[in-house]
Amino acid sequence: MGCGTLISASGSRRERQSAVRIFAQEYSESSLIERGVGEYDPSFIITKLGAKVNRCLVCGGLERMERRDGDSGPFYRGQIRDPSGTHYFDVAPFQPELHPDAEELLARFETGDSILVSIVGRQKTNESEDGGIFTSIRAESFTEIDLETYKSWMVEAADATLRRLDAYSSSQGVELTDEGFRNAGIPEDLMAGLMKSREHYSEFDTEVYKVWILKAFSRAIGRAEESFEGIISNDSEPEEETSKQATDSANPRDVILEILTSNGGDLIEYDALVGACISAGSSREKAEDAIEHLKDVSMEISEPRFGFFSISS
Amino acid sequence: MSDQTTYANQIAVVKQECPDADEGEIGKEFARYEVDFLIPPEDALRSVIRKFQAATGVEISTNTSTPVREEKKVQRFSELGADDRNVSIEVAVVSYTPRTQMVRGEEKQIAFGWIEDNPWEASSERVRWDYKDWGNKGETMIPGSVIRLEGVSVNEWNDKRSININRTTRVTVLKEGGGSAPPTSNEPLSIARASEVEGFVNVVGRILSAKPDAIVRKDGSGEMPIVRGKIADSSGSISFLSWKEFEHEVGSLVKIVGASIRKFHETPEIQINDGTVIETYHDTAFPDVSELVESEKVSIADLRNGMRDISITLQVESWAQRTFEAQDGSSRTVRSGDVMDPTGRCRLTAWCEFDPKPGDSIRIEGGRVQFWQGSPDLVIDNLDQVSSLSDVPWEKIDPENHWVEVDLTSVTQGGSRRGISTAGTIVAINSGSGIIERCPDCRRMLRDGTCSEHGSQKGEEDLRLRFVLDNGVSNANLFLGKEPAEEFLGMSMEDVKSEISSIGREVFVSNLRGRVLARKMVVHGRCSVDDQGAMLFADKVEIVNPKPAKEAEEVMQRWDVVL
Repeated sequence: MGCGTLISASGSRRERQSAVRIFAQEYSESSLIERGVGEYDPSFIITKLGAKVNRCLVCGGLERMERRDGDSGPFYRGQIRDPSGTHYFDVAPFQPELHPDAEELLARFETGDSILVSIVGRQKTNESEDGGIFTSIRAESFTEIDLETYKSWMVEAADATLRRLDAYSSSQGVELTDEGFRNAGIPEDLMAGLMKSREHYSEFDTEVYKVWILKAFSRAIGRAEESFEGIISNDSEPEEETSKQATDSANPRDVILEILTSNGGDLIEYDALVGACISAGSSREKAEDAIEHLKDVSMEISEPRFGFFSISS
Repeated sequence: MSDQTTYANQIAVVKQECPDADEGEIGKEFARYEVDFLIPPEDALRSVIRKFQAATGVEISTNTSTPVREEKKVQRFSELGADDRNVSIEVAVVSYTPRTQMVRGEEKQIAFGWIEDNPWEASSERVRWDYKDWGNKGETMIPGSVIRLEGVSVNEWNDKRSININRTTRVTVLKEGGGSAPPTSNEPLSIARASEVEGFVNVVGRILSAKPDAIVRKDGSGEMPIVRGKIADSSGSISFLSWKEFEHEVGSLVKIVGASIRKFHETPEIQINDGTVIETYHDTAFPDVSELVESEKVSIADLRNGMRDISITLQVESWAQRTFEAQDGSSRTVRSGDVMDPTGRCRLTAWCEFDPKPGDSIRIEGGRVQFWQGSPDLVIDNLDQVSSLSDVPWEKIDPENHWVEVDLTSVTQGGSRRGISTAGTIVAINSGSGIIERCPDCRRMLRDGTCSEHGSQKGEEDLRLRFVLDNGVSNANLFLGKEPAEEFLGMSMEDVKSEISSIGREVFVSNLRGRVLARKMVVHGRCSVDDQGAMLFADKVEIVNPKPAKEAEEVMQRWDVVL
């Protein structure tokens, strides 16, 4: 009889969660997790733009793929790159049905060929002791795709992101209630997530989202080389120049260490560190790399909370 | 232009980080990112540096020391020691009593009560302990619920053990506690709103129809007189069933107090019984019958199982009659066929001598809907429910080419329909795709040669494919039977069989995944929608070849984006 109770306790079968089309940057910036209350309720990552992600469909160039051996058996880890950033994914030991495909993908990756993949997977988060959140994807299925399919996915992901951006801007100044949101014309499927994201995240600049959406479009249309590239490389060349000159006088490493030692142990945000380096004449890339190096290699600084840094004690 | 000159700036940056790396190789890597992954060199910089750091031995250590947190998982309280910390256990909540207590000079909200282990068994099999809640878990610890506690500790005092629930304890509700009845108010609801709730409601509406009917008692003790009808306001209409006398006439405006809403199949119905009060209502602004009837007209897309009193205009596609032997041995004739309107097609069944010809236009008044193989089937019982029209109020539909385009989200939110086409991306191939064995008696799929109904059977082989179609907002299970699967695969069932036996089932599915995953598909067929989601049964499917440039133009236009 106990068994019967268990089955009825799980309630009726849940509806399958739809696969959100999402670029890596929006996904990786998320720090809001909604855990299901009941045993079989799905959990979600809620992004700044209010996407409630339980399942997602992502695509990109395979940048890394490796097999590891854990206590409960082999598992696979990888990274795919889209116009905005990097998605991290894994195939767990308890998904043996996916292992042959993972092996094959690993072998393909190791040939050095460029491989575009699509992944359907579930949200996964790792939370550090101090509340830092690292988002990744537990793959459910994946396959190699061709360039046209990849471009088509980029357009779909851009469409979905623009839809969320539109809902986000409609939600500005609107009361955080169902009625307020409905009157503001926010689609039903985005209401709950957007409401939670508006409560959780502080104000942020939506312009960065438009940058990679434009990149995705120009790549999909295939005229990136003529128009878009020109603007970007013109912008970045002088920056690279100044950074080379400035590296001697304002090494980003020194800038970062000085800020962190002189502030009495308070945590400093990632963007603030990068900003300080840039205003000291460094480039964004160099600043980001310096932070990474100080954190992961020389371990002179640590990241007690996700995105916030201090001097290692 | 060689890679080295194109990417000179970026190569210089990489060289700074990885002095040993070869410039030609770095250039190739940037070209690979740009051409194969569509990532411009300035965006690829970090990835490329990382790659050459790894390649030239500049080790990147990744901090992956996971904190050790020893968890003790138990089934019963008896397994616990006096010092156990970080315990996980499933319990039933018996009571929860909040109390304010002074802790170190501070007022604190705590709670105490009883919990029982072994929560899925009868109470006689359980052991009851005291607990104290220091973590304000009142919202999840509802008496009567079954919960999983993670991170609780054991407390021992005067030889008596109890459980301490802390602020960091995770409480997962496995079974909801005692359901509380929804509050009832005296305010009447709109009929549209009343149709969505269950339980007692008050409504105000105009009576559109009222007909005496009878229900035959199952125990054979005779018939019970009832009245069936329909009542409407400007928000919609709903059927009612009165178990008591109903003397209000068609057209009168009434307020019904204390009626209950019951669902008959998928269609809500107002039940009027002894406790219900019906009074005449006065509101000169209330829409009159003709107005309400006008908005009552339905189309095939609106049909739901269990609907009654339906008025609808249709174009007949095909018609046939069939004679069969009824249970009492008498011979009965049923006539049925396919009918269409601009929103789709469905089946029409007539239990009367109705013999239209294909292409005829007909009008049905007072029809009902029942489900037949998961699709709504319109039913008429008398010839006076149907009349011939000289023409349909739409341009004649060509049955050969009548697919109503419905976007996937509307499919999942609407009712079961036939004759639709919809589109989405394939995000999964479900198990049981390929060659399966069916029970010769009931066509159910056999598992390990066994039918869940008819036991061990010699199965009949069949081919089918099961996908999940998804548009990012909604999704549906997609089924391809033998014919559409053969057409889609471009192989006969025999070919599929021999391929699977030579390469194996897993490789077959893996190849299929490579062909369909993340690809857009257009589906023609019928859908069946219930509370477990939507199912699509395909007549034919097609993979849509991506046209990214065109798709991008459309999306940019939609959101007013200019490059």
